[in-house]
Parts: sequence; structure tokens; C-alpha cells
Amino acid sequence: MQPLPDVNEALLAPFWQGLRAGQLLVQRCASCAQLQWPPTTRCASCWSAELAWEPQAQAGTVWSFAVYHRAFHPGFADRVPYAVALVDLDNGPQLPGLVVEPRSELCIGARVVAAFEALTDDVTLLRWRLS
Amino acid sequence: MRNDVAIVGIGHTAHGELPNFTANQIALDALSAALADAGIDKRRCDGLITCQPVSTTDGTDLQLGALAGMNPRYSATLNYGACNFSLHLGVMAIVSGLAEVVALVYGANHRTRRTDYTVTAAASDLGPLSGYHHIAGPAAMALRRHRHLYGTTEEQFGQIAVGQREWALDNPHAIFREPMSMEQYLALPYMIEPLRRPDITMISDGGVAIILTRRSLVSEHPRPPVYVRAIADATALGGEDDVLMRPMMRRTATDLYRAAGLGPDDVDVLYVQDPTAVWTLQALEHYGFCAPGEGGAFLEDGRTRRGGTLPLNTHGGQLSESYMWGWMHLVEAVRQLRGEAGPRQVSASTALYASTLGFQKSAATMLCGVAS
Repeated sequence: MQPLPDVNEALLAPFWQGLRAGQLLVQRCASCAQLQWPPTTRCASCWSAELAWEPQAQAGTVWSFAVYHRAFHPGFADRVPYAVALVDLDNGPQLPGLVVEPRSELCIGARVVAAFEALTDDVTLLRWRLS
Repeated sequence: MRNDVAIVGIGHTAHGELPNFTANQIALDALSAALADAGIDKRRCDGLITCQPVSTTDGTDLQLGALAGMNPRYSATLNYGACNFSLHLGVMAIVSGLAEVVALVYGANHRTRRTDYTVTAAASDLGPLSGYHHIAGPAAMALRRHRHLYGTTEEQFGQIAVGQREWALDNPHAIFREPMSMEQYLALPYMIEPLRRPDITMISDGGVAIILTRRSLVSEHPRPPVYVRAIADATALGGEDDVLMRPMMRRTATDLYRAAGLGPDDVDVLYVQDPTAVWTLQALEHYGFCAPGEGGAFLEDGRTRRGGTLPLNTHGGQLSESYMWGWMHLVEAVRQLRGEAGPRQVSASTALYASTLGFQKSAATMLCGVAS
């Protein structure tokens, strides 16, 4: 079984709710407008506590990727070889994610879109798919 | 503080698997060896700095001081710990007058404990949920990026792992001592593409200890002193652009060279803490041994291998000797600068040791033997 997050953990609960609803939510500081990743209770730039979740573009560009030929966690054994990409979200933070249906065109600079993989009724994870 | 502090004792245990020993017992064995090398009794140490092995509750100064029966004036524990961080704290303790003889101690039994490196404490870390495990994952990303930007070839990068194995052949403490040619390296399958098994360290048990003292006291110790000429640190605690390329090392280098009054051309032998070979490639560029992006070409003609102009990790590093969180790099640097490295001995009076903690902390030390 793949590792599952605690989707009820207070700080990240809105993020997991967003993924379940097909949205990619990231906090933005109401004071200085800086996006926050990881989620926080105070803006990492100006320390304002006024933070609001907002939907982000669901597309981005591959900064780099790694192909795992060995599973370091048994929950990924049936996926090897699998690719993980670090994606620069359009106007957003850099987020890692497993690349579903990797194709030979996967490369640095490739355009990807968010894919939402429902692992259980409660847990949907962020993945990436070549666009 | 230039040359105010010297390393006068080194000691370590065997590496690999040490079943039936706790991390604290291993640390004490290493401390015993270092005190013997320094020619002193434990009561001469008025400083004790311990390094806690990752993901454990072992290795605090409270525990080790109690087990060792020591009441030093000053003690502290760092829970992260490539050796440079402990060394720098020890230097500060001596320069400030808090202590005059400081023992630095590290012991780990990660291999027999089967420490799980796929878990992380941060709920916001999407990596483990994405199968993005092991430090080799981000290292593979960084190498692919380097190859994309600069055209670095597999063979150029392979010089690191092949060269480390070459050095390890003459190191009786090394875990990996089978010869490995470039052809054999290139024929190996990927583990985390574009990294192969020899590009990645192997978790090991083992302990290391180091004894520092004030320059004015070096004559109390039988071995040739090795002076700490300069230290420098940098962090990226708040994150930075292209963090996997670890530009924090470039800031460390600038400060180190300024403090030492030396430059890359003055370095006779280089030590880079290397959980993966990618960190070594990055360090060659960030520490100015070649221009940004030219690490591959720099490695190509074997410059860092035996007989090369910049011998690198002459013990085999963490790729071929063992994973000791960078502590054995310092031990080997001291051996080389003392002239005690046996068949691995190179001609060196100045050594640079660069280490990092992941993507957040960087530290470097310039060491000089008595010849300089």
C-alpha cells in the first residue's frame, strides 16, 4: 500500500479537499501577495497571518525528473520503473509529483498538467501528466 | 582565528555492520581511539561535542558524557551532522575560551537498525507520496538538469564513482574494494536514473571521533598537528532558486577563500561529503575548481583520480569507503596532511573539506599541515 497522508491535519486539510474536488489550492498572503508552499500560519516573507487558499493554474513545466528503477517503499513496487517530476507550476511554486503514463517525450521543459489520482474515498493525490 | 586551532587526534571504529552495539557504544569506541591517537586521558578533555545520528535519540552529550564518565566544562550536541558542523562548533568553543581540548564524537548503527529513509516528518512533504524517496532522488534530478544545461556525459560523471573506487582499493577500512572500470560502471543498470548504484552511498554503522586543541598546546600531543586555517558556513534555510543545484556552496566558498587568504589553486587535496556523486560534481564548480557547467569536462581526463592534479576523497569517500556523514573525510584529510596515508599518500599541505546538510546547510574548512 502506498503511504497515505493524514488529510484531516489542520494545516493541509484545505489542500487535500482541493485535490478531491479537482483543484490545486495554494495559500497566498493577503498582505504581500506571496504564494506559500509549504502551507503555513504566517507568511514566510512578511510574517502576516492573513493567508487565504486560492486555486492555481493546473499546468506547469518540468524542471527535472528522475526515473525510479527500484522501489524504496513497497507501495511503489508495482509501478517501477516510474518517473517523478519537479514541476514549476505556472505562476506558482515548484511541486513534486509522480508522472502518470510517462511517455518518451518526458523531458526537462516539457509541459504537464495536474492529474488527480483518487487512492481512497478520502485521499486524492497530485500527479502530473504530459500535456 | 586563522590556525588558532589544531586537530591533534583522530579515531574511528570499523565500518559496515556492527551488530550488537548501540550507537552510543560505537561512539565511545571511536572516542577511545581518538584519545589514544592524541596521547591524552579523557580527563584532559574540557569540551565534548556530540553529533546525533539522524532519526534517533542516541548520541546526545548527556548520554555520552554519562557513559564516558566525563565532566567537561563545555558540552553540546548537534542533531545534524556532517562533521564540519561539529568541527566549527568545536573551533568556536576553543577560540572563545569555553574549552581548550575538545572531543568531537559521532556513532551510528543505521545499517543494523535498518533506518527507514522513506519517511519524513513534514506532513507537507509531497515527496514520499509521489515515490520521491532517498537523497538520490533529488540528486538524480540535479544531475539530469546539469546534463540538460551543460551537456555533461555519463562517462564524465562516471569518473567520480570510478575514481572513488580506485582510491578505496588501498583503504583497508573501505566497504567496496572490488575494482570497477569505466566499462563496468557504464554497464550497470540505473537505480534512480540517471544514477547507478556506485553513484550512491551505502548506509553503514560506525563511529568517528576527533580531538581539537589550541595552537599553543599542540606540543602535548604526539602526532603532527593539522591546523584549521579557515572555516565558513552558509545556509538556505528559507529556500532559494534552483535549490537542488545547491548554490549555497558558492557562498561558502567565497567566505572560505577570503578567510583563508587562499584560492582554489592553493588546494592540494579536496574532500567533498558525498552521499551521492552529484554533490561532488556540484562542489567542483561551486568551489571554483572549474567554471559553472564545466564540471564534466574537468573530470574527463582523470584530474581527481590517482595521479591527478586534484586528488579527491582519497579514502574512497562515501561512495566506496562508508557512509559516515562526512566524518571520515576529515579523518582522511588529517592522515594525508600528517603523511600517514600509506599507499594512498599524496603530496599535500593544504586540504579543503566541503560538506552539506541536504539543501539547507553548507560548511567548509581549510586545513593545513605543519609543512605550510
